[in-house]
Amino acid sequence: MSALSQLYLPGAIAVWCALAFALAALWGYVDLARGDESARGFARRAYAFFTLAVLASAFVLLVALARRDFRIDYVFQYSGLDLPWHYQLAAFWAGQKGSFLIWLFWGALIGVPLTRSIGRHEGPVMGIYVLAQLGLLFILVRENPFLMLDHAPADGQGLNPLLQDDWMVIHPPIMFIGYALSAVPFSFAMAALWKKDASDWAARAFPWALAGFLVLGTAILLGGYWAYATLGWGGYWGWDPVENASLIPWLFGTALVHGLYLERTRSRYRRANMVLAVLVFLSVLYGTFLTRSGVLADFSVHSFVDLGISGWLIGLMAFFGGLAALLLATRLRTVETRPNEDPALSRGTFLVLATIAILSCATVVTIGTSAPILTRFMENPGQVGPEFYNRVNLPIALLVAFLLAFVPFMTWRGEESARAVLRKALPGLAAGFLATCVGLGLGVTNPLHAIFLFLAVSALATNLQRVVRLARDRKLASAGGYLAHVGVGIILVGFMASSAYDESVKVTLEQGKPVSLGSHSLTFERFLPRDAHDKERAEVAVTRPDGKVWLAYPKIFVNDRTQQLMVHPAIRSGPLDDLYLSPLEYSPGSPGGFARLQLAKNESREIGDATVRFLGFNLQAEGNALVNMSAGKPVAIGAVLEVTRAGRTERVEPVYRFEQSGRTEFPPLSLPGGGRVAVGAINATAGAVELLFDGLGSTAAVPARLSLDVTRKPLVSLVWWGMYVIFAGGTLALVARARQLRKLDDLPPAGRAAV
Amino acid sequence: MSKKAWTVLGVVLLIAFAGFAFAAFRTSLTPYVSYREAQGGTRTVQVAGALEKGSTSYDESASALRFTLRDPQTGDTLRVRYEGVKPANFEDAISIVAIGRWSPGPAEFAAGKLLVKCPSKYQGTEVKSYS
Ligand code: HEM
Ligand code: HEM
Repeated sequence: MSALSQLYLPGAIAVWCALAFALAALWGYVDLARGDESARGFARRAYAFFTLAVLASAFVLLVALARRDFRIDYVFQYSGLDLPWHYQLAAFWAGQKGSFLIWLFWGALIGVPLTRSIGRHEGPVMGIYVLAQLGLLFILVRENPFLMLDHAPADGQGLNPLLQDDWMVIHPPIMFIGYALSAVPFSFAMAALWKKDASDWAARAFPWALAGFLVLGTAILLGGYWAYATLGWGGYWGWDPVENASLIPWLFGTALVHGLYLERTRSRYRRANMVLAVLVFLSVLYGTFLTRSGVLADFSVHSFVDLGISGWLIGLMAFFGGLAALLLATRLRTVETRPNEDPALSRGTFLVLATIAILSCATVVTIGTSAPILTRFMENPGQVGPEFYNRVNLPIALLVAFLLAFVPFMTWRGEESARAVLRKALPGLAAGFLATCVGLGLGVTNPLHAIFLFLAVSALATNLQRVVRLARDRKLASAGGYLAHVGVGIILVGFMASSAYDESVKVTLEQGKPVSLGSHSLTFERFLPRDAHDKERAEVAVTRPDGKVWLAYPKIFVNDRTQQLMVHPAIRSGPLDDLYLSPLEYSPGSPGGFARLQLAKNESREIGDATVRFLGFNLQAEGNALVNMSAGKPVAIGAVLEVTRAGRTERVEPVYRFEQSGRTEFPPLSLPGGGRVAVGAINATAGAVELLFDGLGSTAAVPARLSLDVTRKPLVSLVWWGMYVIFAGGTLALVARARQLRKLDDLPPAGRAAV
Repeated sequence: MSKKAWTVLGVVLLIAFAGFAFAAFRTSLTPYVSYREAQGGTRTVQVAGALEKGSTSYDESASALRFTLRDPQTGDTLRVRYEGVKPANFEDAISIVAIGRWSPGPAEFAAGKLLVKCPSKYQGTEVKSYS
């Protein structure tokens, strides 16, 4: 804890108030959960004040950033005078402390609509939820963003140039909404166990679980797109720990969504869902621990060092993990659930297999990401590369695609024979078959890839068939799941094509010289200086086979403040493929220094591959020089030269102009065979001339060169489109589930338990 | 097939998958090693060190970046070749992790991937003084 004088009081007081009110709210809600109705008003008020205090502390930090109050250490570290307003805003979450604050900010806000959707469970659910917020608050009190410096620096250190990007304004805050949402299903599950009342937890948690799935997915998409489009990491996904840290909870969340669906429709899976809800929340904490504690400092491209909070994060995980384990161990048995009475070949089985597949994927990613910890005690701790994830996830993806292809036609009771299901799926399977033929024609060679393509396109088609059918019956509102699956089919095709069939070459382009690459031709035209709109960038003309030219602008620039070299790729996105130009190196070349040569009359010298003889001055170059001189007019004197090069001799006459005012002019003249010459000075007394040569001999100009990594990535656009379709489906499902919840709340209490 | 048989089949498949995943984990694990161990080794490993100032050169004909890493503890050095997109913040890295394997011909470490650690985003780079 720091002394008062080291704290910026408005912010620090707001944080402490938030802590006090959160404790009060916890107290009130626990009382309420214990049956003391009179505690409701107190608890709600305390929660409202907690929210206000959190908002106030965020507001204080925002104002400090806007005022550029560099006395505050956090503002000093992440902001600077040169930052435009939106990067000032981004500085809020550029650092550890601010990112916990924004997490808490969303957490507090989410609690407000949450209280309205929980009906009679307000006490226990909010009690657990406030406990989760308290965990964050403890970290925030320790990692206080309102520490002050003992002096007021004139300028801050500025935002890391890597983060000076529009995506930085949007990606992190959305990620933290997703993180904050993960506490909601957890709270519902824990509350249901605590109060031994699980009759309607699934209905209530469902919209929240879908919201978390959507928001976290959006944040992942934004992060992936950022990495792909502006950072030039070469791909949208690198299996970096920080990426996995959000993928794992998203996968658990996807499993939870399916489990809740099964619970809502068949009253099965209730116990499993509680475990899944716990896993979503714990995996968020675990991901935070992995990326913020420094355990992976040597294993991630994101630089995370030990910030002294690993102890806290381990404590949080232990506390919530312990709480969950205790409740699950003692109460899970009491949760009534219906046994599985469905036959083997049924919708229910497929859903169970789907959750198992998604959970396997989550487990594999967790184990892979934890490799440095798991191998910590070995002689040489290590990590696993992308090939691990790719290899192990391939069978899972095959299973997912297979299940998805048939699930639209599966029924609960399994009345339909396997044959009938196959018959219904036939149009979709035909589409898959066609796509596979096209794929084989286009160069798919690996048989596993062919099977994968077949299943993924079949899944896309059968689910699409179902969506269209539902839309025709005016039941589009209930088509959310199938629409999401169409997206999954699309994205699976995109994953395969863009990762297994990308082609990449490295080229070095000399300025002005076209180089052909396959059917394209690339010319490095020029290097453009920084201007009002853009950073320094190269202009590369890419000529396509049809003769159309695309001007690409890969960027290479140096950040003013840190002198850090930054590169941004240029991407031409098309429906079939993306052409991805990543700058590797730029050497500006040299314009060719001038060679100086002094020649007396009739003297001849060699320079480069030419021999130059000075024949004498021409005083009549532009009017009579002597007359002009005495009249005070500009004077021009020519130097008559004989240049012999490659056996040919030619005469050239560069001129030298000067005025009384002292202004001189010596325009260069092109030489036969390349290079240029100009008269640098005239030595009238000696009758000699000083010549300047450019581009001759050893001083020849070195052309600017640009080295590029040129990659063709087939069907990357499908990855983005697949995600959009998944989100569209998820949104439909969210609306439908929220509507069901509203109906539930309209029922009298007696009817609710039955739902 | 009875339900029981399906369940057994499922469990067997799951165990087989776990075995497969474990094998993949073992083969793709890239351990951290010293430069000495990296030299002459045949498997993919990772090494870490500080970039030797001024040791960086870009070979256009081979599209390769070459540089020297120095182990801050032992003072050993290792020549590294990397054929990828040069990371944005390469020059001012405080530490670089190279993942790859020893290439005996040119006697250099051929890295397939670089992790560049910069002065942390989460911590100021300059020494500050609190009262
Ligand atoms: C889907 C996986 C993710 C991708 C592809 C991704 C991508 C990125 C990229 C490219 C940057 C800026 C460059 C850099 O920091 O090196 C960034 C920064 C950031 N991301 Fe993510 N990110 C992902 C997951 C996360 C997660 C799980 C969080 C935490 C909740 C997060 C929060 C942030 C924050 C706070 C920043 C700015 C400060 C920093 O560099 O850490 N992102 N992300
Ligand atoms: C592994 C194979 C999968 C199977 C067998 C499967 C099965 C199902 C089923 C039967 C439904 C209910 C559809 C309905 O009748 O309304 C559903 C809903 C859904 N699925 Fe899947 N699914 C799978 C994978 C996925 C994946 C990978 C995602 C997303 C990334 C996903 C996202 C959704 C969504 C968002 C819903 C809507 C939930 C709701 O109705 O509220 N599914 N899934």
